[in-house]
Order: sequence, then C-alpha cells, then structure tokens
Amino acid sequence: MSEPEKGFIDVRGLGVVFGTKDAKVEAVKDVWLNVQPSEFVSLIGPSGCGKSTLLSIVAGFVKPSSGEALLDGAPITSPGSDRGVVFQQYSLFPWLSVRLNVEFGLKMAGVPKDKRENTARTLLGLAGLLAFEHHYPDQLSGGMKQRIGIVRALATSPQVLLMDEPFGALDTQTRVVMQEILTNMWQKFRISVLFITHDIEESIFLSDRIYVMTARPGRIKAEIKVPLPRPRTAAMTESPEFMRLVHELKRLIREESLAAMGSELHVGGISGFEMDIGPEGVKSVL
Amino acid sequence: MTVQNIRALPKQAAAEDPSSPKKTSPTGSSSAPKISTLVLAPAIALAKPSQLLRIVREQAPTALLGCISLGALFLFWYLGTKYKVDFYIRFKNVPTPYAVLEEARTVGLSNKFFINVVDSLRRIISGFLIAILIGVPLGLVIGKYRLVRDLYMPAIEVLRPIPAIAWVPMAIMLWPTNEASIVFITFIGAFFPILLNTVHGVHSMDGVLIRAGRCLGANEVKLFWYVILPGTLPHIFTGLAVGMGVAWVSLIAAEMISGQYGVGYYTWEAYSLVNYPAIVLGMITIGILGLLCSGAIRLVGFIAMPWLAYSVGSKR
Repeated sequence: MSEPEKGFIDVRGLGVVFGTKDAKVEAVKDVWLNVQPSEFVSLIGPSGCGKSTLLSIVAGFVKPSSGEALLDGAPITSPGSDRGVVFQQYSLFPWLSVRLNVEFGLKMAGVPKDKRENTARTLLGLAGLLAFEHHYPDQLSGGMKQRIGIVRALATSPQVLLMDEPFGALDTQTRVVMQEILTNMWQKFRISVLFITHDIEESIFLSDRIYVMTARPGRIKAEIKVPLPRPRTAAMTESPEFMRLVHELKRLIREESLAAMGSELHVGGISGFEMDIGPEGVKSVL
Repeated sequence: MTVQNIRALPKQAAAEDPSSPKKTSPTGSSSAPKISTLVLAPAIALAKPSQLLRIVREQAPTALLGCISLGALFLFWYLGTKYKVDFYIRFKNVPTPYAVLEEARTVGLSNKFFINVVDSLRRIISGFLIAILIGVPLGLVIGKYRLVRDLYMPAIEVLRPIPAIAWVPMAIMLWPTNEASIVFITFIGAFFPILLNTVHGVHSMDGVLIRAGRCLGANEVKLFWYVILPGTLPHIFTGLAVGMGVAWVSLIAAEMISGQYGVGYYTWEAYSLVNYPAIVLGMITIGILGLLCSGAIRLVGFIAMPWLAYSVGSKR
C-alpha cells in the first residue's frame, strides 16, 4: 500500500427523486458515505431501500437530484472504465467468447490486440478460468459467469469496483465459494470495493466496513466496522465476534424491514417484501 | 466428438471447478467453438465415418418426410394432369410434368432463359442490399433514440401498409429507367420487415448489456457497433428472412407489370404467348430461386451467430 492511493469514493448528501410531479418517489435521501482507497465497504438494507440506486449513481447511470458523488475528488457524471461494475444479472455479452468479453474494456480503450490478449489470459489464469477462454457465456454455469463478470470489470484496472448483489442469483453453496474467491481477488488487486447486498453474513465476511440503510427513502442508519482479521476464512463465520456482528446487523435491519413492511401494508400489498426478519417479526406486525 | 458431448463439457468442468480453481479443463475447450462455427455441410464432409452414420441416422426421418412431402405434391400434379381432373379446379390446360421437363430442356440450353434468371437475381440482390444498408442502421437508431423514433415512425407506419405492388405506377414515374423502378419495388418489399425487426431487436435487448458496455468505456458509436448491433443480430436475421420472402413477391409482381427480362417477366410472357409449360417452368424457377435465397440467409446467419447454438431454447 505504498503506491499513491486512488479510488476514494465520497458520497455527499445524496438524494434521488424518481417520477413526475404528481407521483414522486424519494428513493434515496441525504446519504453520506465514503469508501477509502483499497477498502471493502458493503451497503446493506431492506429491499427497495435504494441501495441499487445509490450504486447506479456512483457508476454514473443515474444523476442525483441533490448532493454529489465524487471519485478522487472529481464529480461522477457518466459511466467510465475507471469504475468496474459487476451486475446482479448476468451481463456477459453472449456473442463474445469468454476471453473477448474480458478484453472488451481494453478494446474500447484502444489497447493493441496482443496486449489485450495477454492481459485477458493473465487475469483468466488468476481466476482459474483460462481453460474456458474460448467458451461462450451460455456454455457456463451461473457462478462462472459472475466470476468472468468480475474479471472483465477488473481488466481495465479500475480504481474502484462496484458490485450490485453480484451473487444474488447463485445458490448458497456457489455463493460461499464465490465470496472466498472475491476476497482472494480483492487482496491481490487491492482496489476499493463498494458491495451491495441484503445478505448479512456475506457483508460481514467480505467487508472492512458496513453501512446499514433505512427503508425508503434510503438513508444511512448505521456504520459498522468489521474488526475481523484478514485473510478471512470460512472458519471465522463460526467465531463469537462474527456472531455478535450478525446479531447486531440483524437487529438493525429487522427494524427497517418492519418499517418497510409497515409502509407497504399501508399501500395495500406486501409484494416485493423480503423475509429478512424472522416469523415472529411478521406476526408482531400482522 | 458429438455435439451433445461438447455441450455437456462445460457443466461437468464447472462442477469440479470451485474446489480447484487452477485446474484446467480436461478437453474440448478449444474445439467447442471451432465446431460451432462450422456450418452443417462442411461438418458432414469433415466427419469421421462413425459420425457420418450418426448424422445420417439422425437426419434420415427428416429427409424421408421431405421426400414424401415433395412426392405428394408431384403426384397430385401428375395425377391431376394425367386424368385431366375437372372438379371445381380444372387441370384441362395444365401442362404435364413431362411437358414442363421438355420445356426446361429446350430453354435450359438457351441463353435467353439464363439471362432471365441472372436479371432477377441481380435485381433481388441490389434491392435487398440497399434495404439492408438503409434498414439496419435506421432501425438501430430508431430503436435507440426516442427522438428519432418519434420523428420517423409516423411516416413509416403510413407507408408500411402500402403493398410493394401498389408502388409500381409510382415507381415508374419516379425512376428514370425500368430497371431502377423494379429494384426500387424490390427494395420496398424488403425494407419494412428488415427495419421493423431491427427496431424490435433493439427494444428487446437486455438493458444490462448496454449498461455493461458503457461502464467498460464504450462511447456512443462503439456501443452501436460492438454491443447493440451484435445484440440485435438475431432479430435482424429474422427481418432478413422475412424481407427476402417479401422481396421476391415484390420483384415478380414488378417484373410481370413493367419488366423486361427476369423470371416474372418470363412467366407472364409465357401466359401471353399461350405457352403453358413455360408458365410452370417459370413458377418452379421462382420457387427454387426463392428457396436458394432464404437458404443463403440462413447459412450466413448460422456462420455470423455461432453463439446461438448454446443459447437457452436453441433449436439447433
């Protein structure tokens, strides 16, 4: 960590309002957060709290209604290869082979062919995916697609990696493996990561710091440091320290899930509600 | 290696993979895409005898049913003309298959018939290529930008229901030569299916791919070329297949009305000259040329989009 530190995300008083004059929805309100260079930060909250919206702003897809998002001091206005993005849905280009997918960002940047190929093969080798370089995405499993998605996002050497519930579509077993792979890769590359999830264990296992968001409109409810040492191992998830964090986060999120559910019941439906809370929590509302 | 084996491989390798990420795939990683890019005909030529047998066994029912289908059509024609059937439809003046074969033999050697075929093909290719060159870029832009869509679509929606044949008088007035007006009518026929399918293709594209392209640094032009165009390609090819069919309909109509040379002209001339076998010969020629043209499009699509062999719901 002796190199010049880059990849500092600074979100200052961010607010987003969707919709027209008549039907305004406040997705995010007065959010302050930051990600220090080479820090792994998770953003966790009940579904519909605007965490994905927040990530879209940092990625440059959505313009904030108020406040600003800065990367190394400069305001973020559009998407760019200085921020690698990994999406929840599979987003590999189905018409390109695995290697050409990884090369895509470099090609856009005008990197010559042999150099692109070299970088892509090196990265795929690091991720243990070199054997699949000529496969098409549709030939691969979901976990592999997401790993290639991460490799592709890293290929342009971005300063930050933005991940929007990247393992949300995977089964539990694959998910756990993917989390380990991600921590390994993150330690190799030492770049800043902003990771969105609604999985408490996942956020603790991966992060240095966790922001908990409130129900809509999303605000930062709490900021929690994860003092677990690195490298993290699967065994740590059994430790008392880990359990303590799980309980604390569960309590914080339960409050918000109930709040979210309450407001949704008001609107007249519980669709889109996520069962982060235990059954007794539901009973107490109903 | 069979197609099934190739497709099963990645899954098998993926299952082993998480436990040992550095492990290399046992086989097939390089051969799979190569085979997928091959088209059927060369694949058969390259196959080993055992594979050939398998392909033959798999394709045999299809081939057999194909023969029955064509045979039944031929038999209907043969029996109808042999017994001069007159039961609501009249076979009295319909030439026999033999008469048509005789006609084919005589004109097949003549330069004139060959010129007719070449002329029609030249017109169809010109009209079709112009329709692609205008229809695909316009469709991409209309699909992507709301402003362009709002500007062009009303005009397109008004012009689209006008059949190409209704354009014949207007085309003759508009264009200096007969040739140009026929190509124009062929173009009209192909243009709308190509354009609308391209627009539809852009709309049905997964938005996450466009967002992925943008965060990987693609500017607007590169986004079109490297993301939107390949993502829309399957729909574009649907448009091309439909467009080719309509283009032939339009071409034949135009040739019959205003043409000189061309298979449509040949068929209509045969009717005027009361040369009945030549009518059927013209029809069969049109059928075969149309078949070849759609086949060519399917072949190009197969070569241009090898990844579709692996996509969900693929029927290949």
